Amino acid sequence: MHGICQDRGSHHGRSRGVTERENSIMAEHTLVGKRVARIDSLGKATGQARYTADLTLPRMLYGKVLRSPHAHARILHIDTSKAEKLRGVRAIVAGKDTAGERWGVFRYTRDQQLLPVDKVRYIGEDVAAVAAEDEETAMEALELIEVEYEVLPAVFDPLEAMQEGAPRIHDHAENNINIHVPIEVGDVERGFRESYYVREDHFVNSEYTYCQAEPYAIVANYDLAGNLEVWMPNASPHTKAKALSNLLRMPLSKVKVRNVYTGGAFGGRSDIFPGEFIAALLSMKAGRPVRLVYTREESFTGVRQAHSMIVDLKTGVTRDGTFLANEIKVVMDGGAYSSTGPIATSVPFLVWEETYRLPNVRFNGYRVYTNKPIRGMYRCHGRAFLGGLGMQLDMIAEELGIDPVEMRLRNALKTGDTQATGSKIISCGLSEAIQQAAEKSGWQEKRGKLPYGKGIGIGANGMMVGFPMGIRGGSSAMIKFNEDGGATLISGVVDNGQGNDSMVVQVAADVLGLRMEDINLVSGDSEITPLDQGAYSQTAAFVSANAVKAAAIDAKEQILDIASDMLDAMVEELDIKEGQVFVKVRPERNVWLGKVIRTALLQDTPIMGRGSYIPRIDQKREWVSNPKGQHAGTFSFGAVVAEVEVDTETGQVRVTQVTGAHDCGFAINPMAVEGQLEGSVASGGVGATLLEEHYWDGGQMLNANMLEYKVPLSVDMPQITPIIVESVDPEGPFGAKEAGLWGSMNMFQAIGNAIYDAIGVWIKDFPITPDKVLKALEENKDS
Amino acid sequence: MEKQLVQLTVNGEEHDVVIRPNQTLVEVLRENLELTGTKEGCGEGACGTCTVLLNGKPVRSCLTLAVEAQGKEIVTIEGLVSNGQLHPVQKAFIEHGAIQCGFCTPAMILTAKALLDESPKPTEEEARWAISGVVCRCTGYAKIVEAIMAAAGE
Repeated sequence: MHGICQDRGSHHGRSRGVTERENSIMAEHTLVGKRVARIDSLGKATGQARYTADLTLPRMLYGKVLRSPHAHARILHIDTSKAEKLRGVRAIVAGKDTAGERWGVFRYTRDQQLLPVDKVRYIGEDVAAVAAEDEETAMEALELIEVEYEVLPAVFDPLEAMQEGAPRIHDHAENNINIHVPIEVGDVERGFRESYYVREDHFVNSEYTYCQAEPYAIVANYDLAGNLEVWMPNASPHTKAKALSNLLRMPLSKVKVRNVYTGGAFGGRSDIFPGEFIAALLSMKAGRPVRLVYTREESFTGVRQAHSMIVDLKTGVTRDGTFLANEIKVVMDGGAYSSTGPIATSVPFLVWEETYRLPNVRFNGYRVYTNKPIRGMYRCHGRAFLGGLGMQLDMIAEELGIDPVEMRLRNALKTGDTQATGSKIISCGLSEAIQQAAEKSGWQEKRGKLPYGKGIGIGANGMMVGFPMGIRGGSSAMIKFNEDGGATLISGVVDNGQGNDSMVVQVAADVLGLRMEDINLVSGDSEITPLDQGAYSQTAAFVSANAVKAAAIDAKEQILDIASDMLDAMVEELDIKEGQVFVKVRPERNVWLGKVIRTALLQDTPIMGRGSYIPRIDQKREWVSNPKGQHAGTFSFGAVVAEVEVDTETGQVRVTQVTGAHDCGFAINPMAVEGQLEGSVASGGVGATLLEEHYWDGGQMLNANMLEYKVPLSVDMPQITPIIVESVDPEGPFGAKEAGLWGSMNMFQAIGNAIYDAIGVWIKDFPITPDKVLKALEENKDS
Repeated sequence: MEKQLVQLTVNGEEHDVVIRPNQTLVEVLRENLELTGTKEGCGEGACGTCTVLLNGKPVRSCLTLAVEAQGKEIVTIEGLVSNGQLHPVQKAFIEHGAIQCGFCTPAMILTAKALLDESPKPTEEEARWAISGVVCRCTGYAKIVEAIMAAAGE
């Protein structure tokens, strides 16, 4: 079954033109496209929504983790005997209690023992753990565990780590290179030879962190029948379950990752982390449930951070600013283990090829091991890199005397184009987004015309909606009905706060002619709900909601089929509204949905809607070995115009106004889409561009706390004007694509370019903190 | 540390709790009274997620010892619904899409309620400053400010 896009035949022996059905549904929206209150907001506004640390199970124990004080050391011996004797301690686990399995997102990146047996590779790495009757006892027990280490030389800088003779962090990795992604398309040398203008630039970007509102937490409960239930904030229960099943050598069907409210993810809740593995081991050993809640410091260092990057860019253009050749080299500090390494290393390039027409490109991405905590994806990878390219584009535009908006429009991808590595664009509102953002922000009147210290800048992006994920790349959904006409939707969709749960209920209710409150939702549970990619790679609307829409259409067809006999009318003449099935031309001829459901039960044809969707991508495409072919089912596009004020005395940059347009395909709930846009202007935008970074003393993170890791507060935020562009994607549900990564992909370049407009300096070192602004001004004065 | 018996008035109800004197209010609310609507985000007074009202003023319950709250009126998010009716601020947050992951929401709503109790018609700037002690990573604060202004308009 491929969504609603093929003629699916019928369970009742009748074939229908689904396109026609689709059209009739598209014609009369009751809910889709409307600003509706999200279904999860009542529980969250009243304190009834339960997050992992809120859960209590009978006889529950409290877990705590002993962490490595060394950046690189061999574990010689762990003595837990004293801790075991402490009153109230119920279980202790260390590497020797594990099966020794290694985990990595890909078969070829399995480099991490979640409780290491042989050595530790970063400060804060998990070494042992305790479960006790209360948290204080568990903490006391940690102090009684004696670990003998042989401290090894460590390396913290990726460029140093790549040198001959650098400490070797993993035996398998020559020069500590974890992943190398080489991509070459066209004839790059010829492209440069034929270029009218060629420019080279160097950009760098520090590490920063998600800093989700909710600290990481896990509850694990193992029973004697061999079932393991786990609750934790997560973006993909099925991915978590698969990893746990491998690592614990348990059947996948016995690992049950439950749904629980998640306090923000931003990419940082997708991979498997030691916490759930440890909580599971403790629960198995103690025979009791265990709750393990991370401190804020552990949430900074013990989960994931965003990669730091060192980027070299060379770009050649024709006289009119058309890209002829790009050469890009990126070195990323990956920390101690692979995590999503191959994805992380590729995406910085992909987001560039997803934005502009690039005839000749060469990319070399290196993800390098260092003795620092592990890096993962944060509101997509490689934004700083995209920021650099977006700033270099402005530099080139200035050299050629072209307006930056015009320069982007000249190179922007369009519907029907094929990207450098072979993905076809099936819907594209990039040019519209650039134009609307420019127009609404008053670009023409402001650019180059604002007083010194004030400036305006633009950024643009394309964004993959999904990528090859094998069997986990699709989603399926079911809908069952109760005898009162209410329904329960069962979908693998995952909600981390962005509103995915509400979105799928809105879609199902719209198709079925029900109110949202008539539909219960069971979602994101690895035992109960069907496979789904999770809130990962921007696919919830495009893939999960597509599956739900197909299931709702399937159920509707079954309902109308039964009702057609009851109302003595053709199926095509019927529709459902507010729980009544009626004849469209004579609405007074109707029947209550509950009665149809009961009739179906008596006829032994119970209404069970079923739908699925898997994006049309090239499943042979592989990140490292075969980076060509259709990468994603579709792509979203956006543009941001930022206005800044720079205090040249203090170096402080303030973003005053952000106007941005995003081609989300179709806004299922415009209010939720706006919320996504506004949010991405904050954490991935103002925060990541101007404020957020980590400070280090070797491998020790110095600001693993919220007092010294500065995130944007309400008073740091600009006025935001979100503009929704609807390109109506031919595959997406009602034309929808994604809405999450608009601001965060563009704010680096928009702010960097606006600072140039304001004070005439390019700052190529992110985040753009006041010291860098002052230094750049000073250097500019000297030159 | 020796435990002691403490009386706390939470959401108009009196509770006897046996606690250690070093226990923070957030810990006692969550663990002893099972009022888990109050969240703990950082444990050091930086994020504001644990905000509750103490005699009508927003305080960080992770920096407040439970024993200090004796004899005072404590209001948590669970106490805002009265007779099954949502508080206008709760309603506005829901209607204006001011809630995403929801983890900061109880603190934001209580802080907004305290603002409106003291200053029923705040300017947008005042609303922004009022919530500047609570970190939100999802919304960019735009719809939160919008919701507070809408609640003030009622």
